[in-house]
Amino acid sequence: MKEKDILIDYKDHQVVLYAEKTDNSIGPVQTGSYIACYYIDEFLNLMGSLERSLYEKLRKGEISIIYLYMTLEELTVSELALRVKIPLRRVKKHLTVEHFPSIKIVELRRYAEVFNIPLANLFQIIVTKQDIKWRMGYNAESEKEKPVTISQEETDNPYVVFTKPEINQP
Amino acid sequence: MSTIPFHHVMAAHCESGTITALLNHHGQKISEPMVFGISSGIFFGYMKTPMLAFPSVFSRIRPGQILRNFSKRTGIKFETRKFTDPVQAETELDRLLERNQPVGVQVDFFYMDYFPSWYRIHINVHYLTVIGKNGNKYAISDCYHPVIAEIGKDALRKGRFAGGSMAPRGFMFYPIHVPGEKDFSKAIITGMKNTTFNMLKIPMPFLGVKGIRRFADKIVEWPRYARDMEQLAHEIFKINVMLEDQGTGGGGFRYIYASFLREAAQQMNRPEWNDLSKRMMEIGDGWREISLFASRIAKNRDLGVPKLKELGSLIRARADLEYDFFHDLKKTIAGRKTK
Repeated sequence: MKEKDILIDYKDHQVVLYAEKTDNSIGPVQTGSYIACYYIDEFLNLMGSLERSLYEKLRKGEISIIYLYMTLEELTVSELALRVKIPLRRVKKHLTVEHFPSIKIVELRRYAEVFNIPLANLFQIIVTKQDIKWRMGYNAESEKEKPVTISQEETDNPYVVFTKPEINQP
Repeated sequence: MSTIPFHHVMAAHCESGTITALLNHHGQKISEPMVFGISSGIFFGYMKTPMLAFPSVFSRIRPGQILRNFSKRTGIKFETRKFTDPVQAETELDRLLERNQPVGVQVDFFYMDYFPSWYRIHINVHYLTVIGKNGNKYAISDCYHPVIAEIGKDALRKGRFAGGSMAPRGFMFYPIHVPGEKDFSKAIITGMKNTTFNMLKIPMPFLGVKGIRRFADKIVEWPRYARDMEQLAHEIFKINVMLEDQGTGGGGFRYIYASFLREAAQQMNRPEWNDLSKRMMEIGDGWREISLFASRIAKNRDLGVPKLKELGSLIRARADLEYDFFHDLKKTIAGRKTK
């Protein structure tokens, strides 16, 4: 691969690729990611579609919110069980709405930590009306360009989070 | 405490890039391809285990092995530590930073919040260098990030102590003995020998060239593992990510290995490795073709058996070429003594 063939103008995702340079040497070239540049919308659409289908299942009570985050974060049940340090058979139960209430609060905290979300978000889905894709959950990066920003401020109390909707100045 | 002056550069791969950056910081001139080649970084595997949500391919050796192989083969010593207690791990990290020692650490990539959220996945084997601390924030030199980044203390702790397979357990490392000028000839040969063994001789049907063949055979079965067409498309897209984007230097690490061969040829005056380097570049081009083909069919949702078979035959052609390549590489080093 020649250097000129791999140069992609995409600042949001830079990678280093090795390529043949004009002097015939092979060396590192910092460039934009091909797949991120040409397929990021496709990727986000796929994830959006997955999110929406999971959201509907959650709403209908077919899955628990643990199942939802596990799927979104592409974790397997075995991997999740290892991460939250809860036996596999119990984690399997926690994926259903029926057994969700059997989860202890301390265990929920561990789930929240693995999913990297506030504990409160295991009981709620936050969506902004401005979000045309109706993405569930809160995503700082994608919120920036919207009229409403929702931030969640952690406190020293691990069981409490301050959720703050704010109207952005135009 | 502040940030240690550290020359931050992006690199192709996090583990070899972090090792290279740490060595360069300590005055050892060495390139990333040389670290990668000496440690026999190039590999191939096709995995389907309960720990993976979907069949997965990888094109480099097991994470952590680059550091171990490199250190063993070159004699460059690294201090390595794991911890059970996050507080102790943080105290030790702070102590080293106080002594102006940049520290390589292993983390779960998902918690590295200086990357956009869409980019982050749970993978416990990301490596980066911590180069300073200001209040509750650490300064990070991450090979995948264009500039020096900052991360909160809590996020770094989560990353260093994530559970699951290949959990980091607070793993940290830094060089303690750097020779400066050093002849890497023996290490280069040892690296090549081990590479040819890994690619040709490991008696497992899913590793090395056999792993490429298995990938080619099994790709047509992927639809049965997918929930729906969307998931299948997503997984086929990931072939591109695994080969190009996920810190491979392009072509599933084949280009960086070609660069290693070119550099080794110059250092050891072995022109035959220049020819092999050219062949490896062509093999890398073929892998890139595969990853672009995979992206196209995934985008078009053209994922019927005929297209997957076509993808499989492209992959099989790589297996044939790599089989010949590594045999020829083996011939060039046959009989050479290594330490």
